[in-house]
Amino acid sequence: MLPQSQIDELRAAVGADGLITAESQLQTYECDGLTNFRVLPGAVALPRSTEEVRALVRICARHKIPFVSRGAGTGLSGGALPAAGGVVVSLARMNRILEVDIANRFVVVEPGVINAHVSQRVAGDGYFYAPDPSSQSVCTIGGNVAENSGGAHCLKYGFTVTHTLALEVVLPSSELAHFGAKTLDAPGYDLAGVFVGSEGTLGIATKITLRIVRRPEMVQTLLAAFATPSAAGQTVSDIIAAGMLPAALEIMDTLAIEAAEAAVHAHYPKCGGLLLVELDGACDEVEILMREVRAIAEKNGAAEIRVAQSEAERALIWKGRKAAFAAVGRISPNYIVQDGVIPRTALPRVLSDIERMSSAVQLRVANVFHAGDGNLHPLVLYDREIAGQEEIALDLSYRILNLCVDNGGSITGEHGVGKEKQQALGYMFAEPDLATMQLVRCAFDPEGLSNPDKVFPRPRLCADKPGPYEPHPLEKAGVAEIF
Amino acid sequence: MSATATITREEALARLAAIVGPEHARVEGDALRVEPADAEQVAGALSFAHECEVSVVPTGGGSKLAWGSPVAPEIFLALDRMHAVREHAWQDMTCTVEAGCTWAGMQRELAQHGQMVALDPLWPERATVGGVLATNDSGALRLRYGGLRDLVIGMTIVLADGTVAKSGGKVVKNVAGYDLHKLMTGSFGTLGVITEVNFRLHPVERDARTFSVVAQYATQLAGPLAALLHAQIGPSAVQLRTAAGQCALDVRLCARSECLDNHAEKLRSLFGGLAVEEADERVWQARQQLFAEPGAVVMKMSVLPAEVCTIADAVKESAVAKSIDASIVAQATGLMTAALAERGGAKSEDAAGLIETLRARLRPSGGSVAVMQMLDALRGRIDVWDCRSDALAMMREIKRRFDANRILSPGRFVGGI
Repeated sequence: MLPQSQIDELRAAVGADGLITAESQLQTYECDGLTNFRVLPGAVALPRSTEEVRALVRICARHKIPFVSRGAGTGLSGGALPAAGGVVVSLARMNRILEVDIANRFVVVEPGVINAHVSQRVAGDGYFYAPDPSSQSVCTIGGNVAENSGGAHCLKYGFTVTHTLALEVVLPSSELAHFGAKTLDAPGYDLAGVFVGSEGTLGIATKITLRIVRRPEMVQTLLAAFATPSAAGQTVSDIIAAGMLPAALEIMDTLAIEAAEAAVHAHYPKCGGLLLVELDGACDEVEILMREVRAIAEKNGAAEIRVAQSEAERALIWKGRKAAFAAVGRISPNYIVQDGVIPRTALPRVLSDIERMSSAVQLRVANVFHAGDGNLHPLVLYDREIAGQEEIALDLSYRILNLCVDNGGSITGEHGVGKEKQQALGYMFAEPDLATMQLVRCAFDPEGLSNPDKVFPRPRLCADKPGPYEPHPLEKAGVAEIF
Repeated sequence: MSATATITREEALARLAAIVGPEHARVEGDALRVEPADAEQVAGALSFAHECEVSVVPTGGGSKLAWGSPVAPEIFLALDRMHAVREHAWQDMTCTVEAGCTWAGMQRELAQHGQMVALDPLWPERATVGGVLATNDSGALRLRYGGLRDLVIGMTIVLADGTVAKSGGKVVKNVAGYDLHKLMTGSFGTLGVITEVNFRLHPVERDARTFSVVAQYATQLAGPLAALLHAQIGPSAVQLRTAAGQCALDVRLCARSECLDNHAEKLRSLFGGLAVEEADERVWQARQQLFAEPGAVVMKMSVLPAEVCTIADAVKESAVAKSIDASIVAQATGLMTAALAERGGAKSEDAAGLIETLRARLRPSGGSVAVMQMLDALRGRIDVWDCRSDALAMMREIKRRFDANRILSPGRFVGGI
């Protein structure tokens, strides 16, 4: 717990209504979207301005109090999991859109602005903010920046980093620094590029300049039903090979379809592999390309093909897809959401491996993929009430990540490493890679106060020298093991 | 070797020859030229340089070696032997290329499967992948496909102390670990040596046509340009060219062939009375030609996209007043390349003054001017970078952590990094 004197300092920084210390209220902040990890913070501060964030960080730096920044707490890897007894800096009250510049196609926002509100704000001018994580109606831009969030449409439009021009950042020293600019290629290292996706370990972004994109003239969404996810996957490969770059390419398997149907009645056809293709652009071109997509789907044996006939139909299709994670709760008491990436062409092989691995431990796995970029979301279904099943499910979910790495992919495409996948990062990267990343961490945060003990597989001090891996003293003594 | 070095040149040559083979290490001018065959040899050469505190500049085709503040290193680390396209996973639309591969050489291999890295840098026949990355070069295609930050998905680098590190991977969507490749892109060889790069690929633009519109002043084109970017015909490249007397706007349309006529019609309708003529693809070489003007200072300007035309006219106007010829090629993204050539009567301080005036004008909106091709007469009179960022202290700290002995391209980058 924090000593009273430090609580008093924090309260002075943000005002009495800006600090939460009562245990009952702190519990709201003890986890994010990864609910099986919970830690009670010492205090939660709700600053209203960059100056208040700086004041908070200054206090933390002075007393070496760990701090964790937090947006809406929708992250799925435990990135906003508090440090025990540390300070959670909630950016929820810094939620203003500060500037809209349509002619130069950017907006400047505070970190607590909700993702969907950016698009709403510029919709009247014919623009939108492209990254669209499934939680976009509640998640914040600050959290998106921390995680480099993607979404279903990043196949064509890119990720948060693609759309981040500039950042105002409170560094872990409490100094203020500006990365990037409203113009491209400001002289200097691309610190904005490095900061986006650093999962809150390099400081707190307090202003974000985002690129906005012209809304396409036409959007068309097609559903095609296949016997297997692999047939749907082949269709995806053929669409890409034909030189098309659809706005989205999504696949759901039988279990995921069943769950989505139960939750939102999206009227999906019953099948082994459902493919969703969204094309956008100029009307004439979208129509031509949609004919090509249809032909490719037919060639690959689609049993049923539907094109959404209205905006309402299109919205319903997406509602089912975006609700898929939560919907799995309808068909299983508990489940683990995973987030791995593989090269597109490895899909059939990886799917059959997942099937083999899951039936070996007698657990079901529902599959939802951003198929265009090989981003898998296997959902491991289990029942916590059955003794030992949670451990088996967790183990399976981690082995699926290793499988992705073995196939030339990644342990996370959009959810981040956070608390959940620290060991998996050690499976994906060798010790010199991690030591080099750590050089960046140490330049920003030599005391390791900003979101400590996240991302990297083992704690290390900034005095550590990069180079060949040396076992931790505890490891040598046989007390702990590094996976 | 310099006064600070702890080793003679002969000893250094012998040590380096032992690492890369005697036929790949030699004296060239005032420096040693070392040609490693792989990342391991790069690591060996750098460890040696780190230990003995001798300076190293990595080089590929040498086309942009003069960019940045001048460095006279003790060792040039030439990566031209590392020129293989290691893997082209065309069905996954990714590739892995060694840093010494020329840009055009890489594109020729990728084109065998109808793919490309969607970037059009300067001098593709000479420039290497590593050099393009280190200088963060980009051309007009950036409008549609983004810059290197958006196209590089993984990288292998060798740090000053010989550590070989990877970041990213071979898949496009990947948020595991810090993106060291973003830090390396545009770092001008000051943080490490890039040895291998993974790119995401795009299909080669099959059906594309280029159109040009000529006007007397760039500002006449500002309205149509804004309308074009708002219109639903998604050009893949747009550039404004200005030279003495007139200016032109070039537009590259790329769509399914069946749609191109329709899009061209829409394009024509945006320009009112101005004639929209089909143009030769060679207009896209205009940026490169600016560097060929004898005795020209060439600068890279970053401006807000909506101000491209106004700034272009302003540069031309102040240049005329100082008897300087100004030629500009500006991308619709707001990146401009400008060449200033002195006519009889102009003095080099006039060009320096013009650059300073421009910097002052662009600064409030976050804009900047970096001098790429410098004249000897201007050296010392003007800061190549003019980086006034409050992030400079952090950049220096990163440099210190990555290269404690300051052996990699010392002094070449912003703020003396």
